[in-house]
This record gives sequence, structure tokens and C-alpha cells, in this order.
Amino acid sequence: MDEHRVPGRSSSGPVEPGATISSPAGGDPAADETAQARAELSRRNFVLRALAFIGGGIAAVLGIPVIGFSSAPGWQARAPIRLLSTSIVPTLRSSALTSVGRVADFEVGVPQYVKVDRPIVDGWVAENAPVGVHVVRTSETDVTAFDPHCTHLGCPLAWSTGSRSFVCPCHGGSFNSDGDVIAGPPPSPMIRYEIQVQDGEVFVGALQERA
Amino acid sequence: MGRIGRFIDERLDVSPLVRAFLDRRMPGNIGWFHTLGSATLFLIVVQIVTGIALSLSYVPSPDHAYQSVLFIDQTPFGALVRAIHHWAAGLIVLLMGLHILRVFIWGAHRYPRELTWMIGAGLFFVVLGFAFTGYLLPWDQKAYWATVVGTNIAGAAPFIGGAILEALRGGEQLGAVTLARFYGIHVWVLPAALLLLVGLHLFAIVRQGIAASPRRRPLVETEPGLSRRETYAREYAAEKRAGKPFWEAILKDAIVAAVLTVVLLALALGPGAPLEPQADPNITNYVPRPEWYFLDLFQLLWYFTGNLEPLLIFLTFTLASLIFIFVPFLDRGRHRHPRQRPVAMGLTAVVVVGVLGLTYLGASASPPGVVRVPPTEGMSGPELGGLQVYNEQGCSACHQILGIGGQAGPDLSRAGRRFEEADMRRQIVTPQNDEMPAYDGLSQQQLDDLVEFLKSLR
Repeated sequence: MDEHRVPGRSSSGPVEPGATISSPAGGDPAADETAQARAELSRRNFVLRALAFIGGGIAAVLGIPVIGFSSAPGWQARAPIRLLSTSIVPTLRSSALTSVGRVADFEVGVPQYVKVDRPIVDGWVAENAPVGVHVVRTSETDVTAFDPHCTHLGCPLAWSTGSRSFVCPCHGGSFNSDGDVIAGPPPSPMIRYEIQVQDGEVFVGALQERA
Repeated sequence: MGRIGRFIDERLDVSPLVRAFLDRRMPGNIGWFHTLGSATLFLIVVQIVTGIALSLSYVPSPDHAYQSVLFIDQTPFGALVRAIHHWAAGLIVLLMGLHILRVFIWGAHRYPRELTWMIGAGLFFVVLGFAFTGYLLPWDQKAYWATVVGTNIAGAAPFIGGAILEALRGGEQLGAVTLARFYGIHVWVLPAALLLLVGLHLFAIVRQGIAASPRRRPLVETEPGLSRRETYAREYAAEKRAGKPFWEAILKDAIVAAVLTVVLLALALGPGAPLEPQADPNITNYVPRPEWYFLDLFQLLWYFTGNLEPLLIFLTFTLASLIFIFVPFLDRGRHRHPRQRPVAMGLTAVVVVGVLGLTYLGASASPPGVVRVPPTEGMSGPELGGLQVYNEQGCSACHQILGIGGQAGPDLSRAGRRFEEADMRRQIVTPQNDEMPAYDGLSQQQLDDLVEFLKSLR
């Protein structure tokens, strides 16, 4: 960087830019050199700025599609825009109505874990995959169904017959048969499925994640 | 230098570079503790080599991932290579932690090596990212559930947590897209970041030289009025004059690398790499537990409850990370010797004890809901009956007796001293708070026995 330093004023005082060019003969050689150095310096600055500009432009033009594509799952399906997570549970989503049995198959107040094949879409995979559902008959005619994952961090919930609660093996969260938190860190009740009862047959629909 | 060496040197002129690298002087007292960094680097190289080998037979798809791992294990040397990759991952976290500790105790993060520390802190997070993404790839139960929990922790960030979670998972659900993304991050994104940061870290170390061991009094007296830069330069020059050439230190590094190789082979040929049953998103009796190096964080999550829980998780992790990264600007007194930094050393001890304690608690905690309290000698008939009721009703899901059971409800180890008999009966059958479910279906005999058992706990 030293070779580009503009010599100090000691040589000949302030030099007007371009002065040496207009006086080719008999000029001050020191001033001549200074002006040349200045011209070179400003050109050097120009080239460096141009490099930054071109580089930044290329990075932006290529970076937008690359970063946009990589982060797409974070925003593409988020309409209307919602920032907070509502997708604690890892369950493969399905909006189809799937039969989980007849109301009469279930005992009132005793959750039963049912695995049913549901049509799911997992990226490029569209197939029927098994999905587990906790089904609870709440009265003669009413049934609720819960996703079997803790709302704390998504660990699997099993019904513990002894303590009559859904117990999370990760951090001890527990829920009653209504899916409400009775102990531990879970911040919200268990996530329910949409339910339809037709002629005594129970169908589960989509997860009711967004209140 | 042999003929081939001369041939190369005449064309590439590398011998001055090699000499400058090998013969540069270092401070003395560069001992075995200084090999922790190079040992970490050695293991990183092991991971790159074994990882590339594994990628030749691995398929990142839920349909095939688990089967391709089984295939790797059945291929000659496959199980060995996978086991080395598994164990080296754990050893990197361990050695890196010790390396960080060594640097901090030696005060080597101080001027002029603040950037070296911060680049190293970046490397620590990259390594944890490797561990987290590498976890999922075998697509076994541990892989699946660790990723469920891990992505949810990331999703706890305020405002953008949901976007982060879905960007990580590749959508709301955890499946084929998640696995492909984690594989891409594990083999392309993180290695690129790793190589960049390792390069910068080594560049910074070579440019600044290795920090001299802390002295209670500097080697040379410096006059007042000198700038920090000049004072440091004089001291470091004196340290180098009293020191030794770099090639002396490499021998220790090589010995440590050889020992680590033996350790890795022993672990890989002995316990080998674990593989649980294939991931089953619908299982309900699986007990997710992370690898040992995430147990402390996992255990920490016990203590955050309520609506503010996601914010607490986020704030704790963010604050801890920021302090870790910017510690050179927080711990900046005049002295480097640990004995002259009692506050910094005290806090370090607290952190070390905290990490070890949480890891121990996480490792020894029995999962709630599936444990039974064993009988002890000398229990009376009713007490034994009560214990049976206690176990049948699943009280351990929420309550602990002598370390066995969950932590959601009060510890009952001294229930006989803490509670009156009448209160016990009322709390069991008609709990006043909705924290505890009502056990109103017990027979009178069962209730009597249970209370008898609880009264005996003193």
C-alpha cells in the first residue's frame, strides 16, 4: 500500500489536480509524480469498488434463488403469515376423513390407541401411511381423538391406566383424558383431531392445530 | 531432501515455507494440554474420511435409510467405519469441551487472540450442528425422536420459531423432506462452514503464535507508556526466545493422535455403533433419550414450565451462547494467570459442575411412567400392599421416592414427615388442586394400605 501513498505537502505545496497534464514542458517533476500517483489511487479505488459492486451483484442474483429455495419450507406454506410455531407434533398430516371404528367399540372415559392407514403427502411421497390416534369416548354419542405427541417437545404419549393420564416419557408432562395438562412443562393441551360421527362410525379428519 | 523432494522444490519453491512453518519459535511450557486442539482437528479429519466412505452406501430416504445402514453394517469393514464415525463424533464434543476449558483457564482468549476464540466458538456450534443432523441419518428410533425434540427446541424461538422449525423439518411434519435436508446440511453445508472456520482458526493461530503459558509476573519488565501492542510484543518475543521450535510440539500431537486412534478402534470394535429399531412415528411406549453430550440440555428442560417456557428455553440458550462467543470481551482484566482471576475461575467451576451435574441427572433419571419402586426389607404387610397399589396406579409417573419416578408432583421420599394422614387421604381421593387426578376408584383396603405405605416414608 506504501507505493500508492500520496507524497506529503512538503514537496511543493498543494497540487491542483490535472495541473501537470496541462503543462507538459518545464513542469515540477515532483508535482507531476504526485498527480500521477493520485490518478492511480483514484483509479485503484474505482476498480476495488467496481469489484465489490460486481461481486455483490453476482452474489445477490445467485443468492436469492439459492437461499429462497433452501428456506422455502419455512415460508411457502405459511399463508396467512404466522410466525409462531403451531407444528409441534411431527405427525404426517392428512385431511382425509378416516374411520377409526364405531362409537360402540370404545369404552366411555378409557382412551384407546388406534393406528389407521391415511393418505399422506410427505414431500415427493404420496401414499397411505399408518397414523396413530388416541380415541376417547366421552359419552354415549360423543368421541374425541388426540394426536399422540406431547405439546412440550413432541415426545410420544401413552395412556397410563394406573395414573389415568397420558404421560410423557421425556420431561414428565401429563394430560388427563380430556387432553388437558395436569402436570409438567407442556404449555398447551393435547392436539385434537377433527371428528365426525356418521351412523355410529367415527371418522377423524385434519389435526386442529390452529385455534 | 531426496531426489524427488529436490525435483518438487525446484519447481514449487516450497522449502522456505516448510522451514518457516516447522522452525518458527514458540513459547516454552507448551505441554500435553495443548494437544487438545490438534486432537480435535485430528478427529475432524477422521470424520471427513469415514463420512465420505459411509456416504458411498447411504441413502437419505425414509424408505431406504435404515436398510442402507443395515447394509453398511453387513459390508466388510462397514460396521467398523460406521462405529468409528459414531465414536469420533462423541470424542470431538468431549475434546472440544476440554480444549475450550484449557484455553479459558490459560487465559489464551485474551488480547490479541479474541478473534481466534470467536472463530473457535463458531466451530463449537458447527460441531453441535453436525451431531444434531448426523443423529437423524440412521432413521432409527433414537434418530427420529431426537430430531422431533431438537427441531421443537429450535421452534421455541420467539416470533420466527415456527419458520425456523418448518425450514429445518422442510414442512410441518417430520419425514422424507426432513431426512433429505438433514443429509444435505450434514454433508455439504456444515462441512463447508467447518473447513472455512478451521482454516481461519489455524490461520489466526499461525499468525499470532500459540499463547504463552500464563505467568504471574511477565518475563520482561516493560516501561510505562508503551502501548498494549508494544507491551505484548515485547513479552511475547521474550517468551519465544525462552521457548522452543514448533517441530518439538508436533511430536506430542502425533502421540495423542496415535493414542486416539487406538481408543477409537477399541470403542468401534468393542461396543460398536448402536442401532435401534427402525423409526416408528406411531410408537407410544418409546422413551426418547439423547446422546450423552446433549443430556445436560435435555435435563435442563425439566425445569422450564408454563406459558413462558418457550421464551425461557430460547433466552437461556441464546444468552449462554452469546456469553460464550463474547467472553474475551467480558473477561478482560490485566492478569492471565488463573490464580489471579478468582471470579472467572469460580464461574468456570460453576459451569463445569453444572454441566456435569445435569449430565449425571439426565443419565441417571429413570423415565417417568414406566418405573416401579422396589420393596425394601422389613416392610410390614400393609406397607407392602400399599407399595403394590402405588406401583399399580402409576404414582411414579409424577412422584419420586428415593430418586425413582417423575418430578411433576411432590417428592414423596419423606411423605410420612411432610403430610398428615388425613391430608393424604383427602389429597388422594379428592385432590384440592387440579394438578393431580382423583384416585376415587380405590377400595378402602387399597387406600388404607397406600396411606400406611406413605406414612412409613420418613
